[in-house]
Amino acid sequence: MNLTPVQFVAIPLFAAFLIPIVAKISKEAVKYIPGIVFLYLAYVAFTLFPKALEKPIVEIIAGFKPPFGIVLYFGPTAAFLVSMVMVVGFVIWLYSFKFIIREPSEKYYMLFMMLITGATGIMLTGDVFNLFVFFEITAIAAYSLTAFLRDKDGAEAAFKYLLIGSFSSTFFLLAIALIYSNTHTLNMADLAVKMQNVDVTTKLFILILFISGLGIESELFPLNGWAPDAYSQAPTPVAAVFAGIVVKASLYALLRLVFLMFNWSEVFYLLLVLGVITMLVGEMSAMRQHQIKRMLAFSSIGQMGLIVIAFSIATVPSLQAGFFQMVNHVLIKSLLFFSAGYLVFHSGSKDISALDGLGKEKPITSFFFAFGALAILGLPPFSGFWGKMFILMAAGNSHLLLVVVLILISGIIEAVYYLRVISRLYFYKETTKEVRRTPVSGLVAMGILTVLIIILGLYPNTILAYLKPAANDLLHRTEYINAVLGQIHL
Amino acid sequence: MRKALAILLLVIVGYYFIAIFLNVPFGNKPKGVGEYYLDKTPTQTGAANAVTAIVVSYRGFDTLGEVTVLFLAATGLGAILFDKKGKKRRLQNASIIVKETSRVIYPLIVLLGAYVFIHGHLTPGGGFQGGAIIATGVLLMFMSYRSFETNHGALSWIESLAGITFVSLGLSGLIWGTSFLQNILVGGAQQNLGQLNHLVSAGIIPLIYIAVGFKVGAELTALLDNMLKTIK
Repeated sequence: MNLTPVQFVAIPLFAAFLIPIVAKISKEAVKYIPGIVFLYLAYVAFTLFPKALEKPIVEIIAGFKPPFGIVLYFGPTAAFLVSMVMVVGFVIWLYSFKFIIREPSEKYYMLFMMLITGATGIMLTGDVFNLFVFFEITAIAAYSLTAFLRDKDGAEAAFKYLLIGSFSSTFFLLAIALIYSNTHTLNMADLAVKMQNVDVTTKLFILILFISGLGIESELFPLNGWAPDAYSQAPTPVAAVFAGIVVKASLYALLRLVFLMFNWSEVFYLLLVLGVITMLVGEMSAMRQHQIKRMLAFSSIGQMGLIVIAFSIATVPSLQAGFFQMVNHVLIKSLLFFSAGYLVFHSGSKDISALDGLGKEKPITSFFFAFGALAILGLPPFSGFWGKMFILMAAGNSHLLLVVVLILISGIIEAVYYLRVISRLYFYKETTKEVRRTPVSGLVAMGILTVLIIILGLYPNTILAYLKPAANDLLHRTEYINAVLGQIHL
Repeated sequence: MRKALAILLLVIVGYYFIAIFLNVPFGNKPKGVGEYYLDKTPTQTGAANAVTAIVVSYRGFDTLGEVTVLFLAATGLGAILFDKKGKKRRLQNASIIVKETSRVIYPLIVLLGAYVFIHGHLTPGGGFQGGAIIATGVLLMFMSYRSFETNHGALSWIESLAGITFVSLGLSGLIWGTSFLQNILVGGAQQNLGQLNHLVSAGIIPLIYIAVGFKVGAELTALLDNMLKTIK
């Protein structure tokens, strides 16, 4: 069997269907399945990466040429994002290993694996209806995982998420219905060509439906009410998947559609404004939170705003910066959620005020949190510095001075609330608590992330060189169209 | 003030929704890919039912996704409603007329469901519809007999094996053919399509639909069972 991109979807599906049978034989064995799957898929991703950089891999499904069948598009962008997802997916699995002790654990691993697979599918597909299907897979796995702990708050958060998420899916589906009735095709490359003949009002309406549908999952400003509740009630590893992978996937989908079909400068202006508001509102709300996981959720919204700003400037350096910040955020926010998960576990309370003096009792976990906090603030030795630096430079080069100022202000707000937590950890008097141990698998997971953050911080230019093809791939749609439709002549 | 704004916004959005969607043509001859599917289905896939050819062959990848969505919904519900002790249904036994009639109808409903998914490539219907019909039969038994139980172990075996069959058929296309989900039994020369309108035709399409039928039937049954059991 040749290594092809479809394996990113087929292998986890096969494994997920296999899990109920394996669970009958040994519940212990089920735990290892997602780890093996992610390790194998990471191998596939890194094998295919160089090929995708040379020439985008377009995989035809079921033997029908585009636009009649479904295609997967594995270009530099997808290659980069999928590799990132597989590595981070593996690390999050490692963290789940001892963290999820609640029954039915085999169902947790199935849902967890499918959540990541759905997000991977969103990044891979070249067909707009197929995108919707993967969107649904991600969403349904996300709803169930939010309520996985089966408490009252979890149920409320999941129900809220379900309601908002259903709106998002409906808008998305209506947009696809409009697209199909106007162009009679669903292939994204074909659409990029044929959407030019659709009249502007309809096109605008489709765009609004897409932005409101995908904006909900990408946490854009007025649409992100579900996020703080879902993040704080879901099991910690799941919150890390939301912040790190699901949100990035839907933002990528939105950007891909915008760059392919609606590349008017006004759209990028709208996205820029949305990004700025999202960032400011997210950071300011984070400052007012008393619970640590809610604070991280709002901080994640703020970071998404920053990433949207980078992408909406729409030049090659700004897109590179956006991708760089995506990696940063995936690594750092996962580290923060991981360490916060154990800090909450040790202190026995979700409140920030309960963390007083934990720095002495739990030095390693607290160190990881402090490390992540300093990294996300953008202090020089860490990767967060380069992410913010690149975005500021890109904004400065495009003469968006107001945006530069606002990013710096939001950085100050960020510093206030993260340093507040650090000072509580290290400089407040400790209260006696029963000492519980952080399992080794959790520490290893956090250790891997820390090492990755340091590497990224020391060699930003190496990563940036790989991001250039990705930025070009997203920015220039002709290459995408030629790669998919090149073999047939319209 | 806020309410007035919300209503104003709704009116504006509603107006554009109606204005745009009224322009969508309905019932015309299909154009674009739709036309292609109608023309090529018999010669490319060998299925007499064009809808099935689209669902299982041209857009089979979407169907695999939809099967997964249902699987996830059932799994998620199972996780949320999980209880170690096990629960019971609240329903009382139905009257003797309902009980006796359901006992007679139940096997017939299951038979109809099986017919619908086995003939999915020939007549209207298919795996999803057939599976749903079977689940309604089980629902009838649930409502008539308080003591009627399904074997959960067997259901999850069916679910898993059917899912594995679907993915394996897809992977077989990757191993022996050129692409995932390729109809390997039909072959490139298009000689093995089978006779149009015969049960043994269209290569892997009926096989996939039979797997889907089993899977959907088992999943919906498990879902109903989970949701009806409310008291400890």
